[in-house]
This record gives sequence, structure tokens and C-alpha cells, in this order.
Amino acid sequence: MGRAITAWLLLGAAAAASAAPPVATSPGPRAVAVTVYRAPLRGAGQAMDLRWLNGFALVTETRRISIPAGESDVRFEGVAGGILPESAIVTGFPAGVAEKNQDAWLLSPASLLDSSLGRRVHLRRTSLATGAVRETEAVVRSGAQGAVVLETPDGIEALRCDGLRATLAYDGVPAGLSAKPTLSVRVRSPRAVSATVTLSYLASGFDWQADYVADLAPDGATMNLFAWLTLANGDETGFRQADTQAVAGRINRSSYSPSRPQAPPLVLRCWPSGTTTSDLEEKVFEREEIVVTSSRVMMEMMPPPPVLMEAPPPPPPPAMMAEQEELGDLKLYRIPERVTVAARSQKQVALLRRPSVKVDSIYRQRVNASNPPYSGKVMRVLVAENDSASGLGLPLPSGKVAVFGAAAGRRILFGSGTLEDKAVGERVEIVTGAASSVTSTFGNRLAAGGAGETEIVVANSNDVPIRYEAELDPGGMRLLPGAELPSRNGRPLWSVTVPANGEAIFRYRVEKP
Amino acid sequence: MRSLFLFSAGLFGLAASAAAQPEPGNLAVTIYNQNLALVQDTRQLNLPAGRSRQEFPNVSGQISPETVTLNGQGVGIVEQNFDFDLLSPSKLMEKAVGEEITLLRTNPATGAETRERAKVLAVNGGVILQIGNRIEVLRDDGLPVRAIFDRVPENLRARPTLSVTVESAGAGARPVTLSYLTPGMSWKADYVTLFDETAGKIDVQGWVTLTNTTGTTFDNADTLLVAGEIGGRGGGYDSYGGGYRPPPPPGNRPGTETPGRESLGDFLLYPLKERTTIANQQTKQVSFLDVTGAAGRRAYVFRNSWMGTLDQAASADTVLQFSSSRDQGLGDALPAGTVRVYMKDKRGNAQFVGENRIGHTPMGSDVAITTGQAFDIKVQPVVEKRERMSGDRWRTTMRYSLSNARPQPATVDLIQAGLWGDVRIVDESRKSTRRSADETMWRVTVPANGEATVTATFDTRY
Repeated sequence: MGRAITAWLLLGAAAAASAAPPVATSPGPRAVAVTVYRAPLRGAGQAMDLRWLNGFALVTETRRISIPAGESDVRFEGVAGGILPESAIVTGFPAGVAEKNQDAWLLSPASLLDSSLGRRVHLRRTSLATGAVRETEAVVRSGAQGAVVLETPDGIEALRCDGLRATLAYDGVPAGLSAKPTLSVRVRSPRAVSATVTLSYLASGFDWQADYVADLAPDGATMNLFAWLTLANGDETGFRQADTQAVAGRINRSSYSPSRPQAPPLVLRCWPSGTTTSDLEEKVFEREEIVVTSSRVMMEMMPPPPVLMEAPPPPPPPAMMAEQEELGDLKLYRIPERVTVAARSQKQVALLRRPSVKVDSIYRQRVNASNPPYSGKVMRVLVAENDSASGLGLPLPSGKVAVFGAAAGRRILFGSGTLEDKAVGERVEIVTGAASSVTSTFGNRLAAGGAGETEIVVANSNDVPIRYEAELDPGGMRLLPGAELPSRNGRPLWSVTVPANGEAIFRYRVEKP
Repeated sequence: MRSLFLFSAGLFGLAASAAAQPEPGNLAVTIYNQNLALVQDTRQLNLPAGRSRQEFPNVSGQISPETVTLNGQGVGIVEQNFDFDLLSPSKLMEKAVGEEITLLRTNPATGAETRERAKVLAVNGGVILQIGNRIEVLRDDGLPVRAIFDRVPENLRARPTLSVTVESAGAGARPVTLSYLTPGMSWKADYVTLFDETAGKIDVQGWVTLTNTTGTTFDNADTLLVAGEIGGRGGGYDSYGGGYRPPPPPGNRPGTETPGRESLGDFLLYPLKERTTIANQQTKQVSFLDVTGAAGRRAYVFRNSWMGTLDQAASADTVLQFSSSRDQGLGDALPAGTVRVYMKDKRGNAQFVGENRIGHTPMGSDVAITTGQAFDIKVQPVVEKRERMSGDRWRTTMRYSLSNARPQPATVDLIQAGLWGDVRIVDESRKSTRRSADETMWRVTVPANGEATVTATFDTRY
């Protein structure tokens, strides 16, 4: 096989690669800060899906790197897998950064074969009969898409079509293949130095939310409000002893991290292998398909789905609480001590606490005035003013609220609702559920003069008076009487205190405008 | 290059080819914004006189073969072929029909090998062989048999391969340029903007971000980036999604200044200073803009897209305004891309506060981008009254309650949209500016930790 040998000799000459600059590798950060942002499109009441976190984080790392004189590549290892490479900012190199690169050509059985096209590899055969191992040289002749065709000293062969145990061994990892997507920068330095470098980047796969726990006092006039800062890291990279922040407020995003590069599987296909006894179906053609996958993501165990748990009872004043500061038009919550944001984990730290917040409980219903049977349900609403006079007066980031009270000598859940971002000075209303002790019924009656009248009867089965509000939606009609009613959000509001175990009645008419 | 070498020289020993001796080529790559690149590959080819076939296996894996041209002194093209019949065991066996191959049988008990020649009769679902004067099915007994072929058939390639048959006037080495278009490479701009609100200044670093997913690495390439739209290919930068986009906030005005950059017709050119290697599956960033202390300010915009009521006050948009003009601005044209805005927190660390896309922006433009929403500045629009006047004319009274929980006054551009051209404002609590047939705007200053109200009555159809 003189021809093949010639090819190998020529190959050796051609394989002498051009000299690449030296590589300095930074294995991990010395200090790291993580700022977590809420998923911009997730509603206040929508739960985080720990397997699919749509928020993101700004990761800022400090690294100590020794760089040689001249030009060199600095590789940053241990960055988050969800890194958005174009958002990376690198500062601290004495002469700046010539270029930044993110290499995502992953080392896998398929890419190893593909990059070895035309190169010499070792074909190792093990005899099952004798255990003898025989190694021959071979040159890869096919790309990884079809299967492996090899040129051996014997001729042209296909790998694993012969029923023998055979495998390929490579002399080295071809240039340009990396285990993980890797960020690197090309830098120049007049002399060898050790530099403290800051790397910051945005990464997907994080999220956070506020989780409120409200405990109503027995008289129902005040509540103890506590909130958790619940943050989640869905990335495979954890951050030890990180300065950790969370940002509240809605942020505009226009770039999303590309889907993680996956190494394509290596598919070995042989020629048609039908025999006298096999069914000669089309399927037979691909019968000896062997899929060797290196996709780690596919094989990885997903964390179990989150267990829906109501927040635990509020602890005594927490030992550590997030500190709030202004950040432009957003609110930044800083965890005062360094904490570890572990890979694929959720963490909770106290966000805020207000021991005695004045609240009102009201029952509210939106009434379709011209067609009352299509009205909404009577809802229980907890109302508080977000000011210091009411014992509150601080920004309230959006999240879920669990409302507890005490009954039968134990703490019980009264209801749960959601809270949008609320600024200081706004009214906070939490709809905690549909009422069962207060009911409204609608009736028709003939009023004086022969006109039809609608009657709302509100019945209170509580042994205390309650506040009831009907928001009357005229639906394009004119409401009579309407002028004397106050209005809420542009809708006439009938507001009444229903006595204990009593009733209240309201009558109205609608007319075409 | 090594593959080219091997294929043309070592293996096939092509009849006419004198095995071109490819030196490291001189590669020039021009990358456009719309997933398109022009590759010009100049290499020294040693061509024999007369016809020869030259193979180029290491071109982009996504090459558009119809755009290939080959230029060289005294070189005429006879034909160009793009072979995409890929080498696989099946193809190898199918092409061996009628030919002889070697069978090497291994005795599973002893490991002893026996060798014989066989003729491939057919490959239909299984391989039928003639060995001597017997007919057999390959591996019918499931025992190990190595099938060894004498050669790789022509036209079966490891990768899609471009080959050009040329007619050369004389023998000898000369530079030959292969040029073609390929999708799989694209670029955009990324702007890192550090906003100092108190000083009203922004520092902006602009990076070009280019990506290569062609499957091929371009070594040591002279790279030029072209900013502008190339028509006809679709899939442009801004056509992603294609759905409704709200109009940009007030404060955008296209500029009329000419930047001090190389241009070509409508396009601005961004040459990279040095040659660079664009690896397969790589995202590469190179700096092109670094401006400190340009003017930047924050504005708030609330746009009520129709005359409706919100049950809860909603946050106003936070808008960053700056200019690309020479005076007080960034002083350059801005290629389309993403502007990411950072602000310093109390400890002086830069924190991300939002981002948005800009289109290709001429120099001298006023730019206003929405970066997010203000936690503390809210607006609640409420329909106070709707009365039928006559026929299909209605009178709608709107009340807009603005609140500001910040300790500084805030100016909000309050926009009511959905005016459809024939809506008149009958009455308003302060003077508005009609921005267009569809929109009217009030500029409202909301006092620190305070509130403001705007009311207006519209005469509307329906």
C-alpha cells in the first residue's frame, strides 16, 4: 500500500501547525459577586420553575492572572454555563484586551472524529477468543456524519461493521476543541506581569422573587409582614462566598442566551446487513446503528420539581436581612454577608419585615350592572397603605403573599394572593380568595312607574360587621342613580358596612345613554 | 489545507492534477449583518499546462456553491463541481457492486484469520457476494468478517467538496483567488454603557461581535465588517419575530453627520486592525468604539395605547437618551446591535440596569432607548366618563394619575395613543402636543415624593 504510506508522510509535513500564542489559564475566581434579576415576563403570581429559570444574573469576578510578555491568550474557566458571551466585560489587563473569544466547539466522540479527518489514528482490535490486542495505524477517511471509514494498511474498511471489537485511539486532542464553552481574551503585555482582572458577564438560568408571609393579628386590624428573598441558580456553576444581590423592578431584555451548544452524537452506520433469515424491511438498513452520545445535558438528572410549600412561620427578627438601596430606577437588595449560591439550588434570605402594619379587610365584587348574573365573585381583599404611618413605607417587590391567622389555637392559612411591584405611597391590595361568609344575590323588581330595577342583596353571616364594595360596571349604559355614588377607577362604587349577621340592599336602574 | 493536500495528492492521484502545493492561503473575509460572509481565499497554486482539476475541501461547510468564482493569471474555468455525496460504509459497499473486495474471516474460537477475495454482486437490504463459484450473503452467520475495499470510489467525499477544473495557459505556480458567499457568519454590535445619572454622562465601549457557525475555521483572516442591510436574503437583523413592536419612545431623531470611517456606498466598513483566526463555533469580539464622558440623560415615558382603565398604576418606562453626534455625543455612526446599560451601586460596583436594541444609527442622531421600567414612577389611566353625543360620536374623559416615590422631581412624557386621526381633544387640564395623528403627549413634572394629575376629554368615534 505504497499510496497510503505516501499520504501519511505528506500528512506529517502538513500537520505542523502555525505557532499559536501561549495560553494562560485562570481556573477560577478569587472573589465573586452575583446580582440576580427576575425573569422580565414572569407575572407576580407565577411560580419559578426550577428546571427552566428565565431570569438572569450579572456575575462579576475578580481573578489573579499571571500573563507572559508579548501576546497571550487568557482562558477563563469556571464561568457560568449560561454566559451570554457578548456581554462579557474584562478590565484590569495593563494594555487592554485585543479581542474576546468564546469557543463552543465541544470535544465529543463526533467532533474528535470529524477533526481527525485525514489524520493518522490507531485502530485497536481485541480478539474475544484469545484476548490478544492488535493495534494498527489507520487514516480517517470520512466525516462523522456518515460513519467511520478508515484506510488501514490492508485497504479501506468501515469501523465496527465486521463484528469485531475495535476502537480508535487518537494521539491528541485536535486544536480548537474544548470541554465546555470557554471564554478567552487575547492580551499583550510588554513584560510578564501578574494582574488582578475583573470579569463580568450576564448569564441566563437564574431567577428570584419575593415571598411574603402576612400574619394577621387576632383583631384583624394589623398584620406582621415578613418576606423572603428567594433566589434560584439553575446553572451548573455555583458561586462560593459570593457578594449576592437581587434587583427588583422590570428590566428590558433584548438578547437571550443562545441555546447551549450540544455536541452532536456520533452515529455509526454500516452497509445493509440483511441476511437470509432477517426480514428484508427498510428498517434492516439501519439495524446496526450505534449511537454514542456525549451530550451531558441529556443524561443529567434534572432536579426534582419544586415542592409547593407555604412559607414557614415568620421567625423571630431574622439574624440577617437584605439591605435595600437605590439603583437608578430599580431597587437593589444586598445580602450583607457573603453567601454561597450553589449550583442548581434555591436560597432564601430575609428580605424585609414590618411587625405591625395597619390593614383593612374588605369584601369586593365587580358587578356587571346591565347583566348581573355575569358579575364576578365576592372576593376577600386585604388593603394597606404603603406609608410609614401605617407601619409600612418601603418598596415592595412583586411576589406571592400567604396570609395566616390564628384560629382554634393554631396558625392557619387564610388565603394567598399576589403583589405587583409597589412603590412607597401606593395602596397595597391583596386579593386573598373568594368569600364564603358574605354572599350577594341579584334580583329584579318592578319599581314605581313601571321601570325594571335591579336589587343587590348582600348577606353577612359573620358575627362582626364587614365592609362590602360593589364596583358597578355600566358596560356602556347609564346607571341610575349614578351621580351620587363615588367612583373607583372610573366605575361607580356602592360601598356599605353590612351589620353582623345582617343584610344590605342596593337598587339601581340602567338606561340607554 | 491539509485535507486538500491529502485528497488531491496522496489518495486519488488524479489523472491530470499535478497536485497543487497549497501554501497557507491569504484569507480575506467580509462579514455582513445578515448571516452572510464573502470569503476570498488566495493561494499559490502550482498548475500544469492544460486541464487540471483542483479541489477545495476546506471551504465553508455552508458555502453557496453557485456564488463561487476562481480568478488567476492565465487560468480559465472549464467547470465547477460541488460534490455532496458523502463517504459512508453504505455508499462504499454500493459503489463496490461488480468489483472485488477482500474478506478476512476471524474464527471466534481460535482467533485464526483466513483471507479470500469476493465479488460484490448486489447491495439490496443485504450484501450478496460471489466467492469463487459460491454465492453467499455477507455475515449471514453473524460471525466476524472484515470487508476490505481496495480504494475509496471517486466522488465520495468526507465533506461536501468544491472542485474546479481549470485550463491553464502555462505550467507554474501563481496566486489564484477563490471567492464565494457563505451563510453561517454574522456580526452585530454590542455597546457597554456606564451611565452616571448625577453627572449626566455616559461612557460607551462598542464591540463588534462576530459569530462563525459555518463548520469551518478561518485561519489568520483579514477581516472586514460591513454595516448595512443586504437585501434579498431575508432573515435580517430586525425581522426576527416580525410581530408588532411599540413605536420608539420620544427623543429619537436620525442624524445627518458623516463619520470619519471608510464607507462604500450605503455601507460603513469596519476593518479589523489585525488578522485574526475565526474558529468554528466561535463568538469573537473586537473593540471599535471607546468614548468617555458623552452626555446622557434619563427620561420617563408612559404610553397608554388605547383609552382604557388600568386597575393598578403601572410603571413608566425608563428611557436613556444620548446622541451620536460629534458635539457632546458618541461622535460615530452606530451599527445595529444591543446597548447594555450599567450603573454603579452604593459600593461603586457596576450593576446591569437594562438593555435594548438599536438599528443602524447614523452619526448625529438623537437616540432614546427604553431600558426598563421605573419602580417608583407610576401612572394610572382611568376612563372617568363615556357619553354618547350624537350618532357615532362619543365623549371620553380620561384621568391620568401620576405618582413619584423618588426624592427628586421626575418629568414624564405621558402619551395617549389610539387617537386614529379623527379624535379631537375637547378639553384638557394642561396643554398637550399632538405628536402624530395617533398620539398626543403631555410633558408632566411630578414633584418629589408627590403626585400629579392630568385630565382630558376626547371627542371620539365609537
